[in-house]
Amino acid sequence: MPRVELNVQSPDFTLNDFNGKSVSLSDYKNKKNVMVVFNRGFF
Amino acid sequence: MAQLRQDYEKFVRLDTEIIVAGPENAEAFKNYWEKEKLPFIGLPDPEHKVLKLYGQEVKIFKLGRMPAQVMIDKSGKVRFVHYGHSMSDIPANEEIISLMKSL
Repeated sequence: MPRVELNVQSPDFTLNDFNGKSVSLSDYKNKKNVMVVFNRGFF
Repeated sequence: MAQLRQDYEKFVRLDTEIIVAGPENAEAFKNYWEKEKLPFIGLPDPEHKVLKLYGQEVKIFKLGRMPAQVMIDKSGKVRFVHYGHSMSDIPANEEIISLMKSL
């Protein structure tokens, strides 16, 4: 099973949210912690 | 998701933003967010860009269809990863919250 690499720098990403606003992981650097949840469908 | 919404304030108090990424398109996200009144950021990722990025570079994923959580601290480092073995295999938020408190 592929596993965790803890304590490494997390790769940055940029995507638009569902309202079209650009969101980058790096927006939060030195400001907030971020929990990214990878979801498998809503239904 | 319901559990996450319930615990959202706890995450906010720990200076933590929640971003939910998924393969649905923006419209599906929007509908779901409005229906469930979700407070988090929703990132439609129909091309699996973030998924692939993380799967390739951090090796968190087998590019499967299972839920996963990645906690990234303010310095940009990964502090917690949970890779689900099934749809219902999601760690308790309390586990993540207590970890955040210990950072």
